[in-house]
Parts: sequence; structure tokens; C-alpha cells
Amino acid sequence: MEIEISQVKDGELFKKILLQPDVLQYFPMYDVREVEDSVRVWEIFCKRGASITALDEGKPCGMAFLNLQGYKKFAHQCLITILVDQDHRNKGIGTKLLEELFKLAKQPFGMEMLHLEVYEGNPAIHLYERMGFKEYGVQKMFIKEDDRYIGKILMERDI
Amino acid sequence: MITESKDYDIRYSTVQDIDFLRSWLKTKGMLHWFPPGNDQELENFVRVWIGFTRYNGCLTAVYEGKPVGMAVLFLMPYRKVAHYAMFQLIVDPDFQRKGIGYSLIRNLKHFAKQGFQLEVIHAEVLDVGPIIPLLEKLDFKQFARQEKYVKEEGKYYPRILMECVLGN
Repeated sequence: MEIEISQVKDGELFKKILLQPDVLQYFPMYDVREVEDSVRVWEIFCKRGASITALDEGKPCGMAFLNLQGYKKFAHQCLITILVDQDHRNKGIGTKLLEELFKLAKQPFGMEMLHLEVYEGNPAIHLYERMGFKEYGVQKMFIKEDDRYIGKILMERDI
Repeated sequence: MITESKDYDIRYSTVQDIDFLRSWLKTKGMLHWFPPGNDQELENFVRVWIGFTRYNGCLTAVYEGKPVGMAVLFLMPYRKVAHYAMFQLIVDPDFQRKGIGYSLIRNLKHFAKQGFQLEVIHAEVLDVGPIIPLLEKLDFKQFARQEKYVKEEGKYYPRILMECVLGN
């Protein structure tokens, strides 16, 4: 497996993973239109070199990126996002992506702390705990789908 | 109390209110409580804030015909989180501690529920300040705190997240 800085064309992988069955339940987007909107936001981070793509035998299979902050007083930290293609899960790709993202966050972005948001029931929380993220809060009614609420767990770690 | 005066009112914000918002933010020490740290960031911030006037998402408190405070709901673009919104509040430094912040948030809560069918609103408080007891008085509860969220001149300040479930 290799990790490289993402290119704008990797937005196709981003969109493909988000639209795989059962993935959107763990993200705020609801449909294709909202996913495409989020890809446009990702492109801004990608163009600033803040996204990485994992390749398995040359084929893109996962991504992670820094949601760069727009204000200088927040520039030492940021929210991160990670996505792994469903056919490549449980192969250590998430771990590798996070390790490389920590390095990227430190150099060249000079970050000291990263945080993430994970919805209740998302098995990825075990990866985040294993990688040293600690919960610092929960928004209990954050997602509303079919009149059911799903909480958002907030986690952070120093790097 | 100013807020009980017949010369006090709360109305939808207009684009013209941007000059008042900008001047309050430029008051000495005010930016410590808000995300911007310089003039360019401040300009981006006020433009995003005032941009919500097109959805009627901002309120302005007016006393004797002059704006003295503003509040804005940052409405969420995604359907699954459309019941939730963050808000910001600012009061003219010359009119603080006169009940205007309380009055604006109380109206904002009503307006969020009736006008936008919101169920929860939340605030991101940067550093421990006088707004925390005000929010607590208005039924906001802390749900998260990040100790090193803000870094100004090498010093860290916390971000305190507080939310209010808009009741029946």
C-alpha cells in the first residue's frame, strides 16, 4: 500500500465511497447533491495539499484530509475526515492513513492537535480510540433521520 | 431597563447593519471572543454573518433607532442536520450589561423554532467569559470543551460548546 498527496481527480473516489451502501449514515450528507457539494469543499483542501490518498496496487482505496481552518488563531488544530473503500476495510488502511495524516498535519501545516466527529454506532470509533483520540463531548441530537436522533461524538488528540 | 423601553425593538437585520457589526468587532479586546484575528479575517466574518440576512436568519436589536446588538443563526446546508444551528451574538460595547444579549437570545430561540423549525441551537464560546452565565440562564447546557482550541500570541484558550433544546 502506498500513500500519496491527493489530486483533484481523487474526488471521484471520495464521492464513490460516500455513496457506497450504509456509508452516508455516518456522515451529515443525505443524497448525491449533498455529497457533490461536500466534494467541492474537499477540493479546496486538496488544492492546498491537505488531503492524502491510499493506493492498493496502484488503485485508490481510501482518503484522509485536514479540514483547514480559515482563521489564524485556529490554525494549530483542525477537524479531520477519513474514508476507506468498503472492499478494502480491515486491512490497516485507516491506521496507515491516520499515521500519515498526523505527519502531514505536523509538517508542513504546523498543527499541534487534531479532532474528529464520529456518529454513534460507527465502528470506526475503535480505530480512533486505538489511535489515541479521546472523547471531549457529545451532541446527542445532531443527526435526525426518519424522526430518529443520532449523537455525534467529538474526539481529539495532540500530535 | 433599556429592553423594556418603548424605544427598544428587535427586527430582522439588514445588509446596512454590517457597518455597526464591523465597528463593534473592531472595539479594543472584542476580537478575543470571536474567530477573526485580523482585518481580513474580520471582513470575511462580517460578510458571512450578514449573508444570512437573505434567509432572514439575523436579528438586530435597536434602541432609539440605532442598532445596539445582533444575533445570527448559521443555518446548516444538509437535510439531516437542518434541525440544528449554531448562533453568534454581539452587543455594542457601550450597551453591554443592559439585558440586550438576554433579549436577543430569547427572541432568537423563539425565532429559530417558529421561523426555521429548529430543535436545537448551540453556541461556540471562545474562552471563559460573561456569556456563559447568560447562556446558562437561558437554558443552555455545556456539552463539550476543548482546552487548546484557540491560540493567540502563543497562549491557549478553550472552546466551550453549549446547546439549548428548544422546548414545546
